Amino acid sequence: MDETANPSILLVDDEEALRQPLAAYLARQGFGVTEAASAAEARTHLRDANPDIVLLDIMMPGEDGLSLCRHLSESRAIPTILLTARGEAMDRIVGLEIGADDYVVKPFEPRELVARIRSVLRRAAKGGPAAAEDEVFAFEGWMLDPLKRRLTAPDGALVPISSVEFRLLMAFVEHPRQVLDRDRLLDMVQGREAHLFDRAVDNQVSRLRRKIEVDSRNPTLIQTVWGGGYMLAADVRRTAAVG
Amino acid sequence: MEARGLSRIWPRSLQGQLLLAIALALLLAQGISAALLYSAQVDRRNDALIHTAAMRLMPVARRDEPVPSPDGPQRRHPGRGMGVQALGSFTVLPDDRRNTDGEAELRSWLAAQGIDAAEIIVVQRRVRDDPLAQRRLVQRERGGRKAEREGKLAPPERVMLAAVRPQGQPQWLVSRVLVPRAGFRPGLTLVSQTLLLYALLVGVIAVVLGRLTRPLQALTRRVEHFARTRDPDGQIEPQGPDDVRRLIVAHNAMEGRISSLLDEKDVMLGAIGHDLKTPLAALRVRIESVDDDAERERMAATIEDIVRTLDDILSLARVGRPSDPREPTDLSALIAQVADEFEDLGEPVTLAEGERIVVPLRPTWLRRAVRNLVSNAVRYGKAARIAVARRPDGIAITVEDDGPGIPDADIATMQEPFRRGDPSRNSATGGAGLGLALARAIAEQHGGRLDLANRRDATGAVAGLTATIVLPPA
Repeated sequence: MDETANPSILLVDDEEALRQPLAAYLARQGFGVTEAASAAEARTHLRDANPDIVLLDIMMPGEDGLSLCRHLSESRAIPTILLTARGEAMDRIVGLEIGADDYVVKPFEPRELVARIRSVLRRAAKGGPAAAEDEVFAFEGWMLDPLKRRLTAPDGALVPISSVEFRLLMAFVEHPRQVLDRDRLLDMVQGREAHLFDRAVDNQVSRLRRKIEVDSRNPTLIQTVWGGGYMLAADVRRTAAVG
Repeated sequence: MEARGLSRIWPRSLQGQLLLAIALALLLAQGISAALLYSAQVDRRNDALIHTAAMRLMPVARRDEPVPSPDGPQRRHPGRGMGVQALGSFTVLPDDRRNTDGEAELRSWLAAQGIDAAEIIVVQRRVRDDPLAQRRLVQRERGGRKAEREGKLAPPERVMLAAVRPQGQPQWLVSRVLVPRAGFRPGLTLVSQTLLLYALLVGVIAVVLGRLTRPLQALTRRVEHFARTRDPDGQIEPQGPDDVRRLIVAHNAMEGRISSLLDEKDVMLGAIGHDLKTPLAALRVRIESVDDDAERERMAATIEDIVRTLDDILSLARVGRPSDPREPTDLSALIAQVADEFEDLGEPVTLAEGERIVVPLRPTWLRRAVRNLVSNAVRYGKAARIAVARRPDGIAITVEDDGPGIPDADIATMQEPFRRGDPSRNSATGGAGLGLALARAIAEQHGGRLDLANRRDATGAVAGLTATIVLPPA
């Protein structure tokens, strides 16, 4: 976690009622915040400065957030988090496919937003997005699509998983056949629901096993390593997303 | 009973009713025409009989021939019918059928030949009441008609007696003619004619009706499809006769209007969602500056309540027109995810172990439905027990609680929007009462249903409520 001190944020939202308190809150959290009330204003600002991250409202008069987001991901490679009032799954996927790194649904918990900003900055510091945008992880017939956050079983059925389970599984597929101890897993998985996740890692692992193991009492995919932690006992291929 | 029997044979479709009505009308018309035909034929036969009798009587009455003896007819040509008998008196037997038309006819025949009859009696008598006719029949059987010998035609049953007492004579002259059986079969002719006409008419009418009912059927299917899916695509082309064509055009216009109203509603709801959620987001950020942790938590919880209600309202309004497709989903994992959410909040929720069930569904919607049922169970029913199982009628997601249940009379109304068991709408018991309505609407969106039933213990007291979403089998 060695993010730069005082990362700079460009906050783009047409609603002053939200923009001002949010800017103030983020400033209190130690970010350098610049506000923009429209996509045009944001573009003007981007000509002179290079913020570490852009927070972008989708629904704005004039040029909307999605269009600006596409421009950002194509030309500047500045990490972007979308702010959206709509919660429908389609919007989320559209947002992520045009190059946003994450999204939050209004009204969001400010702490969660901060956690996500830090997580995106961390990934950016490691060098680019976590995975190429159209990559999926395949293991033992299972498919994990990081972009759409979808897990698909070998028979093609969608398997709903919680966001904690998703991040846990991401940790496993990014480190296949490696023993990950509880602290390391906690570290990799911790994000927004920190207060949820200080429950045992074991609990989350057993939930995940119920969904992906044939027999969750005799796990073969996620194995317990005595005295150590857990390990994904499968080879993982990164392939282009199908469909 | 009779009405039910009638309704079973009475066709329900336009085409069937019309064809049946035509068949009945045709049968009636044919019956009338057959009856007329039959009576004309009978008249003709009677005329012929009278004519024969007149021809036999005339020479005797004119005294061209000798008057026969009273005890037996004189035979000029043996084997050719019965001759004329002379009698002192003529008695009408009780079983005789008097033919007054025939009498008038005979009188005019005789008058034309210059014979003035003082009295004329024409009767049809049963053969067995008349010894002469019987004798004649026996003779005929020996050398008689081929058809009768072979039994194809029954022998005559009646004989016509034409008795005349010419003016100024004391005795009756009686002529006998056997009445042949009618060769006419009205029943058979009627049926075969009717069938032929019916076949012709049905052929013509089926073509006309087809032009009328085919577009109507297409329209019916379209209305059913639109009512189910509200899918504005696939409108039918106006076709058929003008009346039907106009109906289709009017229907298409109405469909378009309904679709645009629904679209407007979606846009409006999206705007409401946006307009309310942005200030709520601002509020949610602002309360972070409240120093009192407990106070801030309560504020956050209130905002979360408002957001949840807003989401329920928006979902209820959109549930009929989901934008996401169904995809095969591990239902067991979805239910487990909901159970885990409540477990993380420390709610008493248990999930029964079961087989893995994969069903095509819309995960975001179904998750919301199950979440609402579980949320109701823990709120009003102390605890929730969730199970998923295959049943003969589909896949059942059951949520049981240990609460007071719902009064039987209220079970139906409880599923309407804004309905809660507690009519005070006290926010302490929570929720805007949309939960069950939304769960039911989502079940229906998946082609399933929501059942609510009170569970009773051994003593018959209500032990809790069981809510079941039944999805059609995959």
